[in-house]
Amino acid sequence: MWPTLVYFLLAISCAVSIDEYENVINERHDLLQRELDMMLGNEITFSDSEIKANEIVMHLKAKELDRAYRSPYAYNFTRHFFEYKDAVKQSPLYEIIKKMPKGAILHAHDVGLLSPDYVLNMTYWDNLYVCFEEDNMQLIFSDKTPKVTCGTQWQLLRDARYTSIDVEEFDAELRKHFTLLVDEPHEVYFDVNSAWNRFQQYFITTGPMFCYKLAWEQYFYDTLKAVREDNVMYIEIRSTLPPLYDLNGEVYDSIATAESYKKVVDQFVKDYPDFYGAKLIYAPMRLVDAATVKEYIKIAKEIKRRMPDFFAGFDLVGQEDLGTPTKEFLSELVAAKDELDYFFHAGETNWNGMSSDENLFDVIALETRRIGHAFALVKHPLLLEEVKKRGIALEVNVISNVVLKLVGDVRNHPLATFLAQNVPVVLSSDDPGVWEADPLSHDFFITFMGVASRHADLKLLKQLALNSLYFSTIKDKDRVVHEFEIRWTKFIDSLVRDKW
Amino acid sequence: MRSSIIYSVVLSLLITRYSARVVLNKYMLDRTQFLEEEDNLQLGSSLQLTEEENEANEILMYWKNKEIEASFKNSTPFQLSKHFFKYKNEIAKSKVYQIIKKMPKGGALHIHASMMLDADSLLELTYEDHLYACYMDDGSLKLHFSDAVPLVLCPVNWKLLKDLRDASDDVEQFDAELRKHFSLYTENDELLNADINETWERFHKVYRTIKNLITYRPVREKYFYKALQNFYNDNVMYVEIRSGLHDIYELDGTTHDALYLAELYERITKRFIDEHPDFIGIKLILTSGRWSSIEKVRDTINMAKELKTNMPGLLAGFDLVGQEDKGKPLKDFLPVLIEARDEIDFYFHGGETNWFGTTSDENLFDAVLLGTKRVGHAYALLKHPTLLATMNQKDIALEMNVISNVVLSLVKDVRNHPLASYLALGYPVVLSSDDPGAWDADPLSHDFYVTFVGVASVHADIRTLKQLALNSIRYSALDEDRKKRFYDIFNEKWTIFVKKIIEGGLN
Ligand SMILES: [Zn+2]
Ligand SMILES: [Zn+2]
Repeated sequence: MWPTLVYFLLAISCAVSIDEYENVINERHDLLQRELDMMLGNEITFSDSEIKANEIVMHLKAKELDRAYRSPYAYNFTRHFFEYKDAVKQSPLYEIIKKMPKGAILHAHDVGLLSPDYVLNMTYWDNLYVCFEEDNMQLIFSDKTPKVTCGTQWQLLRDARYTSIDVEEFDAELRKHFTLLVDEPHEVYFDVNSAWNRFQQYFITTGPMFCYKLAWEQYFYDTLKAVREDNVMYIEIRSTLPPLYDLNGEVYDSIATAESYKKVVDQFVKDYPDFYGAKLIYAPMRLVDAATVKEYIKIAKEIKRRMPDFFAGFDLVGQEDLGTPTKEFLSELVAAKDELDYFFHAGETNWNGMSSDENLFDVIALETRRIGHAFALVKHPLLLEEVKKRGIALEVNVISNVVLKLVGDVRNHPLATFLAQNVPVVLSSDDPGVWEADPLSHDFFITFMGVASRHADLKLLKQLALNSLYFSTIKDKDRVVHEFEIRWTKFIDSLVRDKW
Repeated sequence: MRSSIIYSVVLSLLITRYSARVVLNKYMLDRTQFLEEEDNLQLGSSLQLTEEENEANEILMYWKNKEIEASFKNSTPFQLSKHFFKYKNEIAKSKVYQIIKKMPKGGALHIHASMMLDADSLLELTYEDHLYACYMDDGSLKLHFSDAVPLVLCPVNWKLLKDLRDASDDVEQFDAELRKHFSLYTENDELLNADINETWERFHKVYRTIKNLITYRPVREKYFYKALQNFYNDNVMYVEIRSGLHDIYELDGTTHDALYLAELYERITKRFIDEHPDFIGIKLILTSGRWSSIEKVRDTINMAKELKTNMPGLLAGFDLVGQEDKGKPLKDFLPVLIEARDEIDFYFHGGETNWFGTTSDENLFDAVLLGTKRVGHAYALLKHPTLLATMNQKDIALEMNVISNVVLSLVKDVRNHPLASYLALGYPVVLSSDDPGAWDADPLSHDFYVTFVGVASVHADIRTLKQLALNSIRYSALDEDRKKRFYDIFNEKWTIFVKKIIEGGLN
């Protein structure tokens, strides 16, 4: 530092007055500081230990980023998530973020949260039938041969597995159906549609298996466990609430599915009292007509009536570009808006000015509480202001946007701009199991290292965690924030004590 | 009693229904208002169209919508979301492109002198006599004109290119291979997905080979004339050229000093204008590499001052060039730049990076503090809200080069380019093409096309195009008189262009 300064002083002494030089340097500093003061997290004041912890974090961050800056290929967020997802686990910062209390997950879809290994394990359950067809396969639980149409023939998965030549090989093949992970992501997923096709195939394949009532409840229980282990204390789960079935073929309705969920949450909180529970956002498919949406709304109201504390609100899901635009349902949604809170997906697109992009206008007009993704919002300056003014939180899912091909290099993700302007943001993970990411830690790490400014520090991380509590539908927020603060302090203390 | 209950139920039903409709209307109103307000903010929205322009606009928008609708609902991927090289040869088929090609585009304000010309034209220049070639082991190529074997170092040995070409079995194949040294174009996916440093290395290699070729005085003259011709044919009437000044040589090895190159630019431009009186001309932005020493930069700035006195019509200002992440930050040069800022106008590159919060990113701050007239690229600016506001307030134009940012590995899908936001905000933007020769792009039409169809909103129409062209006049370094003449010529050409669109109609 000193030699450069001396050099500067020498260099300027010949012609420019030192005053003039210092003026520019001061102004530069002010401008930079003004931006830092505007960034998400700026309102937080550090305690002494937090200052120490922050130094540790920022030292590690600078070291890693400097390496990346010098040789981008060695450490490269321009590549696909699949190509760096395991490498990031080597980072001490990843370890830290993993341990960090992250608040809540506010945007996740129920059957996309657990890893393919978990799903593979489920195929070891009794009474699971399989039908291998050309490219796909069907899975279903039943106490006798299923009546569902099968292009080839139904067999017990157990029989198929043990008559196969190589069980390991058999399982490896099976596992491929439960993940989007591939070796050559750029070739396999060359655009939004090719990625979504594979993505939807995952749900088509696993859906009938998960919808076995016992499997469903177990999956959700284990989801909560995984979420808790990733240091998340609460989750708002989106579900299409498909009908569940029993081994003997009995089929239940959507409301029963919601009841199943509630039962599992209650049990889980009893088993793990440090977890703050879950709420449900009923989020059925958007590729339907207005009459169906009317039916959806009826179901939503009925769930709300029966489980007012468990039900959070309503949303519509599915690939936005190909789905029905929100404006087609405007009259149904306006009519129900006083009774239902909305948590709409919108602007999960990179088309500019098309119907999917303009869903953003509709959901804001419909007074949505939060917006899922809002990827396109950065192209709508007025709406961005409106979102700030009304305190509508954006649920940003960076890795999801990479895997589902909205953006290649995360450094081009609009979240960078949202963070710089202190737009209310919460980080979430959408369907992390399907791309083999952690419930939330990967998304936090990549946001911190790849998206946010090099200057963004622990304040940003803490604010993002706090935001997820502020913008949740938890009733007693003071209590949960208080509990969060306790955990945060513990985390900071261990960080300082362990001297990373 | 009973009837009155029924009556009140019906009444309340009616009221609910009625109020629901009112509420719905209010929402529709909200929505429409938002949409309209955004439309009014967009770049070009303040332009009033004539009746004829409206008619032309309908035709243009018919083709644009058709093109976009085809990929939106259809399962065919949107071409423009891929690397430029993947669809570049398909562009010519687009009706929108064919219209844009004919459009008068004003000036190109961000162009580097050595990369103005396409590879085919460069290949033609290798047919000039006395050109020696040195094919090196690492696959790179050195070129030098000389009346005897060049004294310049060649680790293998110098051969006359003509001899090599004549001795080859297949001249076409030979030329095709040679051509590769003049362009970054490739179909190799690995190279298309390379990181920014790797891509820039390839870019520098191409740059060095071309520079070899055009440092020879007679070839430089031909090169420059042809370059102006290409811009002119692409309906660009004015170019601001970023160039370092360096010695150029004659066949016998004698050299001209750096200022000679400036004179050459002026001389050739004059000749070109003589033959094309509606061409406005060029201006020079003198550049220095951003890895230079502070002394070297001071020397270049002194040269700029000299030019400003001797050739006042030519010089626009000064800039620093080279890969921003790897070069020195602007702040290292602050002392010299502060010293010069009252005498020399700056046109800095800034924020040509996607690293956030790094020195290259923060060059944007220095550029603005130093009073830059425009900023080259400003790719990272969207992440700096205060700076964005300051620049808008100071009316500092952004020189956008979308295709350059794709080819040089900043962004893949152009729909994620920050220009979309700048256009939506109505910020002062000009479109340029940086080094179109290096990636076989049109001088300016490809950049206009990709911006119009791939980056801007689907709703952006002929007003956006016209405003972009007008901006290039407004934010140029021309004096008021020459701007006035430029506007006049532009308006004349624009009227003809609008008529042509209408004549072309919907077929
Ligand atoms: Zn989602
Ligand atoms: Zn440039």
